Amino acid sequence: MDDEYTAGYREPCSECSAVDWGITDECHFYCRSCHNVIERTRDVEDTGFVQNGSSKISSIRKGSKKKPERGHIWMVCEGFQFILRNQANALLRLGVSPQFKDDVLCPLWRLFLQKSRLAYTSNPVKSSRFKVQDSDSDSAAESSNMSASATDGESNPPSAADSTAEDASDWSGSTDVSSYLSTRLKRKRSPLSMMKTLALIHLALVWSREALTLSDLLRLVNEGHVPYVNAYEQLPEEMKVIGKDALLFRVESIPSHRIVHKEAQALVLFLELPAFPPITCETLLHPELLSLRYLTDTNLPDELHLWVCRLMEQAGMADQTLHTFDPHSCPVLPRYDIQTAALIIVTMKFLFGLDDHTEWKLSNEVGNQSDSGDMFNLRRWYKLMQDVLMRAQQKRRQDIARKQWKAKKPIFPKNIGLKRTMMKKKRIAEQVQLCFEKLSSRPAGVQEVSPSSFRFCWGDEDGSDGPSLHHMKLDGVVTLKHNLLTPSNSTYWHPGLKKCDRRQCPSSHYSDMEPTLPRSFVWLLQLFSFLLDVKPPYLYEEVLKVERHVIGTETHCDVSSRKKKTRTRAKTKSSPRTLDRTLKTGGESGKTASKSS
Amino acid sequence: MDDLDRELGPHGPVEDYNDFSDDNVSKGGTNLKRPNVNPAMCKETPRETGFHRSTRICLEQIREAVLHHKWQEAAEYMACYPQLLEDTCLPPAQQNKELLWRISTNILHHHPNSTMEDYNNIYERMKHSGVRHHLMICLEHSFHLLLHGQNEDAKWQLSSAESWRHGKESAAQHQRAELISAYRSLLDYVIWCDKRFSNSDNYFDSDNQGMHDHFRQASLNLKEILKKPGVWDPFILSYVDMLELYDDHEEALKVLNDYAYNNNFPPNPNAHVYLYQYLKRHDASEKNLMRVLKILHVLVPSHELMLDYSTLLLNSENKTDIQKALGIILDMLDFTCWRTNMDVWKCLKTVIQRLEIQEDWENVVCEKMALREDWWPALHFTSFHASKDLEENPELWKVKASLAKVLCPKQALKYTADRVTNGKRT
Repeated sequence: MDDEYTAGYREPCSECSAVDWGITDECHFYCRSCHNVIERTRDVEDTGFVQNGSSKISSIRKGSKKKPERGHIWMVCEGFQFILRNQANALLRLGVSPQFKDDVLCPLWRLFLQKSRLAYTSNPVKSSRFKVQDSDSDSAAESSNMSASATDGESNPPSAADSTAEDASDWSGSTDVSSYLSTRLKRKRSPLSMMKTLALIHLALVWSREALTLSDLLRLVNEGHVPYVNAYEQLPEEMKVIGKDALLFRVESIPSHRIVHKEAQALVLFLELPAFPPITCETLLHPELLSLRYLTDTNLPDELHLWVCRLMEQAGMADQTLHTFDPHSCPVLPRYDIQTAALIIVTMKFLFGLDDHTEWKLSNEVGNQSDSGDMFNLRRWYKLMQDVLMRAQQKRRQDIARKQWKAKKPIFPKNIGLKRTMMKKKRIAEQVQLCFEKLSSRPAGVQEVSPSSFRFCWGDEDGSDGPSLHHMKLDGVVTLKHNLLTPSNSTYWHPGLKKCDRRQCPSSHYSDMEPTLPRSFVWLLQLFSFLLDVKPPYLYEEVLKVERHVIGTETHCDVSSRKKKTRTRAKTKSSPRTLDRTLKTGGESGKTASKSS
Repeated sequence: MDDLDRELGPHGPVEDYNDFSDDNVSKGGTNLKRPNVNPAMCKETPRETGFHRSTRICLEQIREAVLHHKWQEAAEYMACYPQLLEDTCLPPAQQNKELLWRISTNILHHHPNSTMEDYNNIYERMKHSGVRHHLMICLEHSFHLLLHGQNEDAKWQLSSAESWRHGKESAAQHQRAELISAYRSLLDYVIWCDKRFSNSDNYFDSDNQGMHDHFRQASLNLKEILKKPGVWDPFILSYVDMLELYDDHEEALKVLNDYAYNNNFPPNPNAHVYLYQYLKRHDASEKNLMRVLKILHVLVPSHELMLDYSTLLLNSENKTDIQKALGIILDMLDFTCWRTNMDVWKCLKTVIQRLEIQEDWENVVCEKMALREDWWPALHFTSFHASKDLEENPELWKVKASLAKVLCPKQALKYTADRVTNGKRT
């Protein structure tokens, strides 16, 4: 079986001079006669093998003096492996347990490579792609192909797919980046990309049940604590990243929550993973515990947590099966952070109404009482939070403006002229930057902040964002009824909750609905969207989902015309009876149908 | 210039993974083409990369800071902006460079700590960053040096710019190159002037060879430049100045005449002014002077030299000349800028006095005033004017009053010494 890989290698063994090679488990060559293991590995041999199956490698190579310039021959997946490792190490430094890397991420990575036939497989994906071709016609075809693609925007599979590994590597540092790109040009995503590393890490984190949510991960990436932008700079010196490698390794955006989650979802299905370790109420990712964190971060009283848990219970959302990925019972990877935020928002809606009237009325009542010092006043909280939020949003905007994206060691193209142009531009940019840094006495870029799970800091110390309201009581908004704590507010509004047909309404209706929604609600959405760094429509959809769990999906939205995609909000008010039933302890679990008036 | 993208293929970086508006949820993933970059200042496009978003917002912040004159803040953001130059997307490269150039210099103008060195630094960098703006930046740089008294440096900048060549770009920038050449000569003149005033005694000493060199360089170039149609006022003056010193009157006259009378050149009243001034300096005949001023009168009837013209006409004995003088003065007074000018009115008085000697002078006056009698009274002879003139310049009032009757005999003018009543007695 090994012969097909060793057939190309005809060097006699240094120990016994026999030519009888096999492959070890670690993919090294060994002499079958004397079991002498040599340095040559199967990966390298693959390149030689697939070129033309013969042993005439040296005649195709342009001479060994090329090698030291180019550094080692390396494959794209090796590069990504390094990057993934660096990212994992960064997370370990931040406090994630080592099992995450050793016991979860590594096997996951290997599984991924195997399933996508990039490595650890007897049938590597690129072996069918290479044929020997004349290098002149190759480059001519390639350049004409590119110009054709440039004009008509259509991507034909270029003759890059037909070039030898040798010629392909003339355009890049790695040997096989063209095969990744040719796959991509066939309208499928490249099997490996920087974004996939994030998706893999997220999966591994969820599997290890670490308290880092996806929005936390993306925030760490954005702040630079986890390498992502220009991560290729940390690759070893010998692995030269040039030319076409840029297309895979250079990133100019940090992907959004939605996109990475989508990718992670696709990965989970692609890898055919079994059921994840269960996310129980004791796990930090479970909404019950995660909501504590968000409540603390947004300076809401701790008592609110009780109500969040009650809501989850009544809606049947506390069950661990809902929060753990399972290919049969829960094939959708949960979005823990978004869901928890949505839960908090719905809880607040129940308690405070958030219809631009009730909450302020309740605030007024609290304010009018004489001993209101200890009672949570929404108005006071809002004023505090609005101030802090605006400052934080401004600071974020400033950080976005100041962020430096370009690498110290850019990926240069192979073409000398282009390389020089690029270097010149870089020099000029650096000089201008230096000039203004000196003038303003402030270095470019964003000041490094120490990583934290929390965005805001509440308390009386210096540097805090404001006084802490965590200890406040909710006495103003809840009353004792029949010896049970119930919210004083007895109405609840919601838009039509029937799920739209994804084909006819592919996007969120938030932009249409937003002008009709109460401002308090919209503001609260914006607050949590800022906290998680997502867009409000995204969070809004999750709020609707939670409401569907809690109330049911029988209320129709008044769709005047599907084609125009307009939607008016049916301001349905659930009857007080169902509401009471929903929020009291005990009583039925599962969904409660609303009797809309 | 940005062939990098061409080499990498029509696809830009692989990472198109932005959160476009959620309206594109299903469409988002399928389009793998190069991101549609349009950094037409501060306009968010749906497929913006994080990098472009950063630079766009940075530009917005810079703009805010500059508009509010917060120069320190502007400089801070400007330090973060140059990464834009490393953008590998094809279309906007030139625009980026221009943005960077203009905004940087603007900030340097206003920031309290900016030094000449900073300016030089920035100008040099931006000059070599691209070809389209190279010449303009050179020009601006040399102007800046000139404003700070570094004449030699400014000249050196322009000289090196003059010899700049860059393929087809230099053809497209032909006009700018000419401009640079002209200014280089002007700078030669400036330096020549400096040298002249520093060695005011003996111009033709051999020590002043440098000065003569400058003259030679400048004049050679200027001669060529001045042949081309255009408005070359400062250049002409400097050339003539130099020629005067070296007593090359022929050439000076030729140049000035050419400038004034060549039909290829755009009509330029200043040309005639310069010619007149030169002739006057060199004691030309009155006839010649009048000839020049005649054309100037057609071009700019309100020119201050019209006063000179009338004076010249008065000096002549010719009857028609006096009448012409009347016309010219009246033309001048049609414009409000001369309304309270004593000299003009006095001149008018003189003209009228000389005219009165002639017979039939009333008809002449009538004829000239025919076009004006509707609106001249309102322009010069209202009671308001009377009171104002009495207050400010009683002499003027006297002259005007004496002329009022003459010029507008048929009308009852209110240009009297009676105080204007505003309802209350003063």
